[in-house]
Amino acid sequence: MNFTGGMTGLLVVGLAAVTATPALAQDGSSDIKIVLTSPLDNVDPCNMTAGYIGGVLKQNVIETLADVQASDSAVVPKLATSWERTEPSTWRFHLRENVKFQDGEALDANAVVASIARVLNPAIECRDRFKFFTNIKITTKVVDKNTVDISSEPALALLPTYLAQVGIVSPKTDMAALTKKPVGTGPYQFAEWTPTESIVLDRFDGYWGQKPEVAKATYLFRSESALRASMVEVGEADIAMAISQQDATDPAMDVTYLNSETLRMRMALLPPLNDIRVRKAFNLSVDKQAFIGTILSGETKIATQMMLPSINGYSNDLKPWPYDVEQAKKLIAEAKADGVPTDKEIVLYARIGRFANDEELLQALVQMWLEVGLNVRLQMVESAQWLKLGSKPFASDRQALLMAEGHDNSYGDAVFTAPFYYHSDGSKSELSDPQLDAWITEATDETGEERTKLFQKINNYVAQEIVPDVMLFHMTSVMRVNPRLIYKPNLMTLGKLVLSEITFKD
Amino acid sequence: MMADTVLTVRSPSQETSRVPWILRLLWRDKFAFAGAVFLLVVLFAAIFGPALLGKQAVTMNLLARNAPPLSLDKGWLFVLGGDPLGRSLLARLVVGTQNTMAIAALTVTMALTVGCLFGLLAGYVGGIFSAIIMRISDILMSFPSLLLALIVLYVLQPHLATVVFVLAITRVPLYLRTIRAEVLEVRERVFVTAARVLGTSPLRIVFRHILPVVAPTLITIATLDVAFVMLSESGLSFLGLGMQAPDITWGLMIASGQNYLKTAWWLSFWPGLAITLTTMSLNLVANWLRIVADPAQRWRLETKGMAND
Amino acid sequence: MLRYVGLRALNGLISIIGLVILVFFLARLTGDPTDLYMPIDAPIEAKQEFAANHGFNDPALVQFGRFATGLLHFDFGESLRQSRPALDLVLEAYPTTLILSAISMTLAIVVSIVVGALAAWRPNGVFDRVSSFISLAGASIPNFWVAIVGVLVFSVWLRWLPTSGTGTVWHWIIPITVLFIRPCGLIVQVVRGSMISALSAAYVKTAFAKGVKDRSIIFVHAIRNAMLPVITVAGDQAAGMINGAVIVEVVFGFPGIGKLMIDSISFRDFAVIQAGVLVTAIAIFALNILIDIAYAMLDPRIRRV
Repeated sequence: MNFTGGMTGLLVVGLAAVTATPALAQDGSSDIKIVLTSPLDNVDPCNMTAGYIGGVLKQNVIETLADVQASDSAVVPKLATSWERTEPSTWRFHLRENVKFQDGEALDANAVVASIARVLNPAIECRDRFKFFTNIKITTKVVDKNTVDISSEPALALLPTYLAQVGIVSPKTDMAALTKKPVGTGPYQFAEWTPTESIVLDRFDGYWGQKPEVAKATYLFRSESALRASMVEVGEADIAMAISQQDATDPAMDVTYLNSETLRMRMALLPPLNDIRVRKAFNLSVDKQAFIGTILSGETKIATQMMLPSINGYSNDLKPWPYDVEQAKKLIAEAKADGVPTDKEIVLYARIGRFANDEELLQALVQMWLEVGLNVRLQMVESAQWLKLGSKPFASDRQALLMAEGHDNSYGDAVFTAPFYYHSDGSKSELSDPQLDAWITEATDETGEERTKLFQKINNYVAQEIVPDVMLFHMTSVMRVNPRLIYKPNLMTLGKLVLSEITFKD
Repeated sequence: MMADTVLTVRSPSQETSRVPWILRLLWRDKFAFAGAVFLLVVLFAAIFGPALLGKQAVTMNLLARNAPPLSLDKGWLFVLGGDPLGRSLLARLVVGTQNTMAIAALTVTMALTVGCLFGLLAGYVGGIFSAIIMRISDILMSFPSLLLALIVLYVLQPHLATVVFVLAITRVPLYLRTIRAEVLEVRERVFVTAARVLGTSPLRIVFRHILPVVAPTLITIATLDVAFVMLSESGLSFLGLGMQAPDITWGLMIASGQNYLKTAWWLSFWPGLAITLTTMSLNLVANWLRIVADPAQRWRLETKGMAND
Repeated sequence: MLRYVGLRALNGLISIIGLVILVFFLARLTGDPTDLYMPIDAPIEAKQEFAANHGFNDPALVQFGRFATGLLHFDFGESLRQSRPALDLVLEAYPTTLILSAISMTLAIVVSIVVGALAAWRPNGVFDRVSSFISLAGASIPNFWVAIVGVLVFSVWLRWLPTSGTGTVWHWIIPITVLFIRPCGLIVQVVRGSMISALSAAYVKTAFAKGVKDRSIIFVHAIRNAMLPVITVAGDQAAGMINGAVIVEVVFGFPGIGKLMIDSISFRDFAVIQAGVLVTAIAIFALNILIDIAYAMLDPRIRRV
């Protein structure tokens, strides 16, 4: 035993000495490594609304006609230099001149028409089409080499915003099947893809815009947060996407940021939740402040509505619900006296592993409700089950329930939230209020100031008159960045990590 | 002539009563004794735990969130630390013993019984009957356990009984194959053929000749299986398919503590240690029992101070 | 011998077909995967279109008919997630798992036979106590711990080894260690128990009592007689590993079958689940045939049935 012990020790020391440390000494190199949470299933530009795909491709390899700014949701020119609404249902886009795709093709109206047709092709099953264009018919027309008319039916007041999500790809791309090598106009070309291991992007020298500092980006995949954090710590990676709060122990490298996701507990408006007093009681009995800095990061913000302040339509009139246990109990007693079954068990359904410390948060919430006499039970379920419970068509024998729901609107306008969650036809909507429906339809077609005011009115109405949920927090993510880089994540980073925004400290 | 030396080994029949004799043998093997004591503590916790510390196990206190262990600042309840919701780890460990032990004991017993039954049948009867049993066993081995867990828990709800069922099914092939291998071997021995010729019932052959040979291996596997079952339950809980809050099991505690390994290592450490200590105790006692039960080995315990050779 | 293998292969094949049919129908009990592939706020029409395209609304038998026809050309269908042939995905993932399993199991078996046999030499002696302690600890420690602690100690703190990935030989050290600890612990105990029984056989006692010169020869004979349960348990552990070492693959980023299956199951990617089960089953059935042959070789008295 002694002999083997000694030999093993010698062997280990020997190995260590001989080890050409794989820890890449990358200082000084302008190549970076980014470690993501999961491998990409495919790399097709028509799926960029999927955050993990968009995060790699959007504005890196593939660009769009217009882009939405994270800071104020303004829609700014990208491949289109300007646009105007020539008719209610038609927008004319003027394309940037002298732009080339990474394979040498020129960007012109025909290429744009082909890209859009590709996204809309049913044979490819593009996620972007399912998200935005299922019920919207888009037609395109080439006006001249650098001008294209895009029409929609129904007419869209925000067509440019929608088109900010549509990637423009080279006309040589396969039009009927998913591509394994996306070609766009962006500053980086898609060099290599090993599905389970890595993706490599190389700087494209023929880019029309400013040359970015990062020369090469390699994306790696690790599901375990502790691993991602360790990789940056030892130098095997430069950026770790989304590490958990527990692993964020180094303030020099870790940056917490609002990630545009809002968390709420959606209520199914069935007894006893059909009584607004009970719904108000649910809101009054939660001590939201207690979670910030403890279970959730200190940067978490209390939410009053389903979207972040920078989104068009955000109402500044709303205040968070106060923490008032007495009032909550009073309301419950009142409702009970009127025959409302306040003792009925209400199940809170939540998806497993949705965000860091989710189960603890939910257990603490349930505890708070139990303390005022509400009967709530937490049930963690698998994604598939949760989706079934929360999307129409709902089961006919549905009982009152709560759904822990996160919504991220990173597209800049309230129209990407309200119809789905508040309109009676919305697939995730529990509401059926004709007045609200009318306002939403009206707001969708409005423009400018009027539009903003209408959506603000909608947000106020929902939060104050209906109270369909327990609105909780604007959530945060933590990113770990090697100190040799300078990069500030913003609320769109999880779906759009723009490499040209990364610079080196020198 | 003969020196007046008499070996002072007292034979069992000279003892006044049988119970102290067993305990004395247990005491001879200190490790087994420690193991037995630990198992008694576990049993006590399993039976009385929820009644004694049930309330403390669910009292949340965000101020004691992730309280570190080995300090009496927050009272003796927090000597093992606090969990992410500020609940006493000690209380949760004790209360969780009941569910954990229930799952482990039920699962292993079920798997052992079913496995042995069919393994004996397969080995003894042979022919097409055996082939069918073995192929079903192979199918069970190849069926992804996660898929099985998902299916069962989709059709029925996650509940102690369903968790036991899912875990037990996946363990059956091991016992089945172990006993079958042994039966295949013993079946061919001369005395068995002789017994068969003499018309001894197969049951008698099984109990008198086959089981004693295979029992030690089965017990070794079973004691280690207890650990495996508890850890599998942990994996299932992590994926949401096993026991869920507010039920407490050691496996669930380990799963919840997984994200905190660097910052709050005690969350996973104590339940993990509990599993390891339980396994070791079971194993030590099982090994001791084996020595006691086999007359050819018992001398190791009876004669203290003589070399074990 | 050849006839035996042929017969086993045949009824193995029938069972595997049965297994695939079973998986096909049972997996579909877990619901229609459409929701998992659609953006969360996609309208109902979009979901209906998707479901219709993939035949989720067709009766199960119709879907099975399609699947069975495809099977005849070795076409398992396309993965819903990656839009590539499911069989390709599975066959790409297998080598990693097989290598991991083969190395870990071999190490585990070799080490445990040596340690277990030595421990059985003097039951309750010092070596026995220490090796039992270590092996029991190994067999009951959560894999995940060992993996993460291993990374934290050897990669982050000591910087001796890389954290994860599959690149060089160094990358495989921690994963294989994590994988081999449990089977090794378990088999050590089985070997020990089995050897103690073997060593108390009459012929052994007689030989030793007679003062046979080289005890190790008897020892080796005893080992051979003790191997029966060891092979069974080792086979069971190996089968478990062939099903995929999920924790190791997930933590260290090894693209093996374990992670593929777990993701496919979570995403209800039926085509990949079916392909994966089939390939795994073939490996496990083949393994079991080998084990049965090994029984017969170890003990010629065993008639193969």
